[in-house]
Amino acid sequence: MKLNKNFLVHKSGKETIVVPTGNAEFSGIVKGNKTLGVILDLLKKDTTEQQIIDTMAEEYEVSREVIEKDVRMTISRLKELGAIDG
Amino acid sequence: MKNIYKIADKVIEIVSLHDKVHDYCKEYRFDGVPDFTVSTVQADIDYEREKTAKTDIAQRISVRHLAEDYLEELAVYRKIAEQMPKYDTFLFHGSAVAVDGECYLFTAKSGTGKSTHTRLWRALLGSRAVMVNDDKPLIRVNDNGVTVFGTPYNGKHRLGVNIAVPLKAVCILERSADNHIRQITKAEAYTMLLQQSYRPHNSTALAKTLTLIDTMAQHITFWRLGCNMDISAAKLSYETMKG
Repeated sequence: MKLNKNFLVHKSGKETIVVPTGNAEFSGIVKGNKTLGVILDLLKKDTTEQQIIDTMAEEYEVSREVIEKDVRMTISRLKELGAIDG
Repeated sequence: MKNIYKIADKVIEIVSLHDKVHDYCKEYRFDGVPDFTVSTVQADIDYEREKTAKTDIAQRISVRHLAEDYLEELAVYRKIAEQMPKYDTFLFHGSAVAVDGECYLFTAKSGTGKSTHTRLWRALLGSRAVMVNDDKPLIRVNDNGVTVFGTPYNGKHRLGVNIAVPLKAVCILERSADNHIRQITKAEAYTMLLQQSYRPHNSTALAKTLTLIDTMAQHITFWRLGCNMDISAAKLSYETMKG
């Protein structure tokens, strides 16, 4: 899976923002913290939920359980909005 | 039908199926070599019909039956707004009023009372308050600073003039029983700025729009106003924001 091309990732201060182009059905804005930013960076290339969890578990001093929960929740939300292909 | 116009310092050729858009834009007629051309086809008009129907449904009003030539006007502005980020300019939804050569831009969701509030400014300040654009001004952000341009698309009361004025402040407006205003941070205003800016279909143009908004935010002040419809609301917002 991969971030849909109609969604742009924008960083403003400490916030990560996902903004859809005029082509997307969804017309709102998604805001989140650094975790969202990291997940979105990984979604720029074709990847899987498992790969994202593995990469983040290696990189961050947070329990795998917490990372799994965060990643699954974030990806499920992004999928609902049509921001993820595949 | 085709004609050439100058809008937000850009020379634009409009090629249309219907004549109405040319009458609508007539105060912006210009003779010169176009920076770009926008031309509409039937599919663009159909797109606007679908889009306005969706908005009507979202606002829980019955779907309006809109004339083809009116829908074409919308299509033309959408095409202009798609091109403008290339020229450091983007479309913003708000009511822009200038006083003593400085522009104040009020923004809020449709139906909140932006136009009502700028009307109170005119009642308070008389001819010193000049309506730049009551609905969809263009904003240019470059080395000369942040400039608001009047455009033909100035709302249902057709309030606006063909001028360019430096932007001083953006004010997010909310209805309230009593009047109060406070300065807010860029971060607090940011979501509203994104929501009220035109989001191009082209992702390069959208990315440019976001950087223009970020740069604009460094140069102006932001305010949150709770206001009623009494003229004292205008007195409060004008006197506080002018500094």
